[in-house]
Amino acid sequence: MGPSTEAGAAIEVCHLTKVFRIHHRGSLKQAASRFIKGLAKRDHVEAFTAADDLSFTVPHGQTVAVIGRNGSGKSTLLGLLARVYRPTAGTVRLSAADGGPARVAPLLELGAGFHHELTGLENIEFYGALLGMTAGQLRARTPEIIEFAELTGKIDTPLYGWNDGAKLRLGFSIAVHTDPHILLVDEVLAVGDEAFQNKCYRLIAELQARGRTILFVSHDLAVVQRVANRILWLEKGRIHMDGDITSVLAEYRAAST
Amino acid sequence: MADDLRELWRFRYLLRMLVARELKVRYKNSVLGFAWSIVPPALSVVVLTFLMRGVLQRDMPNYSAYLLCGIIAWNFFSIAVLDSSQSLLVNYGVIKKIYMPREVIPIAIVISNFVHFLLGWAVYFVTFFGILPGAVRLHLLDHGGTPLLSSIVWFPLIVAAEFLLVLGCSLWSAALNMFYEDVKFILQTLFSLVYFVFPILVTADVIGYSGPMVQHPWLFKLYMLNPVTAMITGFRNCLLQPAPPEWFTDKLKGKPAIDVEWWIYLGAFAISVFVAWSGYAYFNSRKWKFVERS
Repeated sequence: MGPSTEAGAAIEVCHLTKVFRIHHRGSLKQAASRFIKGLAKRDHVEAFTAADDLSFTVPHGQTVAVIGRNGSGKSTLLGLLARVYRPTAGTVRLSAADGGPARVAPLLELGAGFHHELTGLENIEFYGALLGMTAGQLRARTPEIIEFAELTGKIDTPLYGWNDGAKLRLGFSIAVHTDPHILLVDEVLAVGDEAFQNKCYRLIAELQARGRTILFVSHDLAVVQRVANRILWLEKGRIHMDGDITSVLAEYRAAST
Repeated sequence: MADDLRELWRFRYLLRMLVARELKVRYKNSVLGFAWSIVPPALSVVVLTFLMRGVLQRDMPNYSAYLLCGIIAWNFFSIAVLDSSQSLLVNYGVIKKIYMPREVIPIAIVISNFVHFLLGWAVYFVTFFGILPGAVRLHLLDHGGTPLLSSIVWFPLIVAAEFLLVLGCSLWSAALNMFYEDVKFILQTLFSLVYFVFPILVTADVIGYSGPMVQHPWLFKLYMLNPVTAMITGFRNCLLQPAPPEWFTDKLKGKPAIDVEWWIYLGAFAISVFVAWSGYAYFNSRKWKFVERS
């Protein structure tokens, strides 16, 4: 039996399991020696269950914070939702509000997806393509992206002259302004200095008001309290608790002291 | 495989953007820009031609044309395969976070290098088929170009075969390098050696007349079945008249150029198709593991 599937849920996760086989990336020498040893001892492969039979449903417009200790499977869950990992078992279904396929935008870490020799504008175009936007769709939003990121003066200069803050602002601005149906965020929900962070929160509130779905991983409980409507608490790859902010946070705080 | 191809087609816009980015970035901050895809091979042709004709004093009219056929074909192969071996690591931050059919990354490298390859041929045609003004041509090349042969009809087919071969080898090297980073170093070493074994500086005939190959004719057939060898020879045979082996050493005086049988070309073509197919299949069978390394 799967979880009750609401009609029109944004995220439907059903018995999702991910087992990583610890693959030894290394030299051919290691591979050769492993192969020789392997003839004697075959059961060398280590398996690690990072997501263990997860089932949950997220309705449209909900903002879910995923919390838990390091190694509890938060990032794995995000990777499964972003389809960078292939599930060992179970299914993930992501839908737009109209029932069509959802456009998912994972927020990248600083610098990933940017090329420092290209200008801000060229990077917007490329990053947009990564997030599934064509140049035409992106063109209308480009002024907004630049203005929000406060980069009007230097958007046509190459990124190598930019500071980290500027790159972070641009990355955030592009991901959010592509107006994804589902936004996936690992750790950093708001970037830059305090003033810019407040702008980020306002934009996120705007997305929420527009019925967009957000799933974010965070260790910062203040941020969780500020933004989320619901908390998914993972422990060793399983859902330890799933509920509203006050009750889960109270338990979580009690458990971590 | 049909599903993988469909998925790739869905992401053609991203592929286009990746190719555009490769081309832009490559020469972004250089004054000569795109000329840089032409200047290095042209310079090595000038130097090597001087070495053969000026220093060693061999009488070999239009040697630069024969040389350029080898260099254009070899550069496309070696640069694309080496770049591809690094491509997934370079883009690791992206493929770890965002879904895309991961083969778009090496494929984009192959296509952008293919553009340079075609540019190289454009320069070749302009130079040797008399499109340059006569005076300039005579100054650059003492024999003023080469005649256009009807066998040029094979040219597009060889270009296609080389594209498939490079694509296949690039997918293999990109995927393997994710698990064994030795692959890049092995390729670098191998490529710098085979430069002298493949018929780049000399024609395949010279190698065919070498001791072991004369004793064992099948060895030469095997050598010619190597798609890179077959392609370079194919380019030369469809664009140029046969180069007499005595160009390279007096010992081969009077020896005729060796005919390459049609089945060797066909075999080399079949190998290229197989490499492309197997590279694509192997890449797809491993692509989900790339980000699961620990």
